[in-house]
Amino acid sequence: MSDAEKSGINSYLTFKIGDETFAAHVSKILNIIEMTRITKIPMVPHYMKGVINLRGTVIPLIDLKLKFGMPETEYNLNTCILVLEFATENKISYIGAIVDSVSEVIEITDTELQPAPGIGSKYKAGFIDAIYKTNHDEFILILNIDLILSSDEIENIRESASIADTKDS
Amino acid sequence: MDDFKKRFLDEAFEHVNALEQALLELENNPNNKELIIKVFRAMHSLKGGGAMFGFDKVSEFTHNLESIYDMVRNDQIKMSVDLFNITLQSVDHLKNLLNEETIPFSQVEEEHKMLLSKINEITGKISGINPPVAIKETVKKKDDPDHVNEQKIQTYYIIFQPKENIFKNGTNPLYLLDEMTMLGTCCIIPHLNKVPDFDQMTPTLCYTYWEIFIATKEDVNTIANVFIFVEDDSHIEIHKLSEHNLFDHPDFTEKIAALKKDKFDIGINNLQKFIKNLKKITPRVQTEVLSDKKVIENNERKPEEIKHNIIKENSISSIRVSSEKLDLMMNLVSELVTTQARLSLYAEVNETQELNTIAENVQKLSRQLRDTAFSIVLIPIENLMTRFQRLVRDLSGELKKDVVFVAEGTETELDKTIIENLTDPLMHILRNSLDHGIELPEERVLKGKNKQGQINLKAFYSGANVIIQISDDGAGMDYEKIRQKAISKKIITPDAVLNQKELLELVFLPGFTTATNITDVSGRGVGMDIVKKKISDIRGEVELESKVNVGTTITIKLPLTLSIIDGLLVKIVDVNYIIPLSLVQKVYAIEHKEISNLFNNIIELDGVQIPFFYLRTEFELPVNEELIEEIVIVKYEDKQVGFVVDSVIGEYQAVLKPLGKHYKKQPIVSSATILGDGTVALVMDSNKAIRSFSHQSKIKEETL
Repeated sequence: MSDAEKSGINSYLTFKIGDETFAAHVSKILNIIEMTRITKIPMVPHYMKGVINLRGTVIPLIDLKLKFGMPETEYNLNTCILVLEFATENKISYIGAIVDSVSEVIEITDTELQPAPGIGSKYKAGFIDAIYKTNHDEFILILNIDLILSSDEIENIRESASIADTKDS
Repeated sequence: MDDFKKRFLDEAFEHVNALEQALLELENNPNNKELIIKVFRAMHSLKGGGAMFGFDKVSEFTHNLESIYDMVRNDQIKMSVDLFNITLQSVDHLKNLLNEETIPFSQVEEEHKMLLSKINEITGKISGINPPVAIKETVKKKDDPDHVNEQKIQTYYIIFQPKENIFKNGTNPLYLLDEMTMLGTCCIIPHLNKVPDFDQMTPTLCYTYWEIFIATKEDVNTIANVFIFVEDDSHIEIHKLSEHNLFDHPDFTEKIAALKKDKFDIGINNLQKFIKNLKKITPRVQTEVLSDKKVIENNERKPEEIKHNIIKENSISSIRVSSEKLDLMMNLVSELVTTQARLSLYAEVNETQELNTIAENVQKLSRQLRDTAFSIVLIPIENLMTRFQRLVRDLSGELKKDVVFVAEGTETELDKTIIENLTDPLMHILRNSLDHGIELPEERVLKGKNKQGQINLKAFYSGANVIIQISDDGAGMDYEKIRQKAISKKIITPDAVLNQKELLELVFLPGFTTATNITDVSGRGVGMDIVKKKISDIRGEVELESKVNVGTTITIKLPLTLSIIDGLLVKIVDVNYIIPLSLVQKVYAIEHKEISNLFNNIIELDGVQIPFFYLRTEFELPVNEELIEEIVIVKYEDKQVGFVVDSVIGEYQAVLKPLGKHYKKQPIVSSATILGDGTVALVMDSNKAIRSFSHQSKIKEETL
């Protein structure tokens, strides 16, 4: 959690993708915007949904559900775009991630974080930085944004997610 | 301090480049005095700056180098090829020295010593044989048989005796004396012994004369210039007393003080005797004084340098701006243009008279601002020329070829990003021309050509493009050789029939080289394909023309700027696309049924058979239900290809925005732009799109 260390802030934004609750460190999130007009781009991977205009900057859009191998997001009132900051090739880039809904900002201290399960493919497990268990015995998966957004493949993170499920039950 | 150092380095590199350029020019006109002075000046600035910012090695080295050119300037040595080689090597070495952060000195030490010894060899040889007369004057040189360094402080003795009637033409001799004091440390002794008694005196006549001792780094001519207007009306003597600043010498100042008190006219002979004695008695003191003097000199130089700088700044016609700032400004201007488009749209919808006026004004202003801003980041390609000249010079020497490089239209300006990306490809093309194009002198004579080969670089504007043409008068491309090579590389089959143009196109394929033996220079097979790729990266095109034994011409066509294009706005379903206007040739309205029945995707328009792509199908979108569609004919290489779109909206000037990494692999859209209403339009790369479509559709590349 180098970002958390750097910023000294332990706030995480939680959001839902499908039934799963995920979180990302607030330093990674530039903006939360409502669904807006999307310009589709032909001949791209199906999880890339096109581009949007964010105050004069063209931002690519990704459907995290599709990226994670889940069915496509159905847009409704709760659907949001998280504008995320991620680092590739020593450059900061921005991308809009479509999520089903945004929940809340929570404080998590580093000691409350549990390491991501090492079971299953190591690479995919890398997408989850850590796991946080709430007071209601809910599991929140903390995403490694940089890694997810810099890979080109569709990643089935359900594998690791289902591990969380089993722990949960 | 680091900031200063950085600025010094920036400037130093500029000086080095200026130096290099002047040297290369000088090589062509070795007798051009102005160029020699230019060389000298660049060295001198480098030396001064180097010393000030702790680049002692640079300053010391340049000092040595400077000595040579001082001799050249004073006609003590002639420019020779050897001299040029050493100087140019030294220039390279200076670059290394300036890069001290990345290149440790130990790495270049040997080179440093080698060059120094070579330089000293030249200067030593000359000053040994030839005691120079640097300044032709009545001045006798006494203590310094070496060349005269302009910047050394020397001491002069001047007698200024105006004629009695000098006031008549309005001259005030005191002004002249004032002027003298500006030149350096000065001691002026007025002599009034010629003033007659009061009752005999005519107040309109001048009876006074002056003795002036001055220590200055200006030369005798500058001093004489002070008196230039009174020359005819006065008796003026200027004598050089010493190569050093005598005011640093206690005995001398004492003597002057005494003279001043006595108002006694010492006379030049006595004075010279005195100074000779001064030296005889105190040779040791003299040397001490010398080393002291250096310090003083440095101290003294500073205010003067500041003065120089002020003068420079007053007359400066350009300023240095960091490229980040420029990039930022360009981005902001682009934003402004986009916002302005939005304002105009809004004003159009809300028909308020006042708003319309404002919107129009904003449009006018932002257009002007945009044009100005874009012109700021344009730099002339002249910036590249020194490097090219150097390359041709060094390489032709290495290859034992006699080649002259002629550049034309170097004032043509291009976007700085383009210039940056253009260097490598152009260098490569030049290398190719030198290595494979231009023949050896003997060979050229046998062919009945001039012994000296020529490489021309010509740059000019052509519409919204800049064309750069590099041509040589060398051997040209051997078509048969290309063919054989292509066959051996299995690029074409032995029975393939290709015309010359198609054969030349092969040269741009990866791994293709016709050089039979791989040289250090070119022929590693990483050649023209990289050139082509790099140039198409900056939206340029390359064309090759060649005639056996006549030469090869490479034409590069470049856009003026990378951040804005003129485009044709078209609509497909609900997405706006922009097709670069430079490639659009014609637009036709067609009925849908005209194309829906064609199975081979070739349509006849104005009697021409044109293959086309139905973009909706290519983009896997449902077929249009409208009856009328439009077909945009674009240029693809030298053919025509049609794109069927829903409708053409009009021309649009697009400020290009990157799409980001996630769309890099996407084959048809190169960037995006934001329209006046805030929606995003996609800028098509029609060439790439056609290539991509033809891979997967029924129209094969060959039919295009």
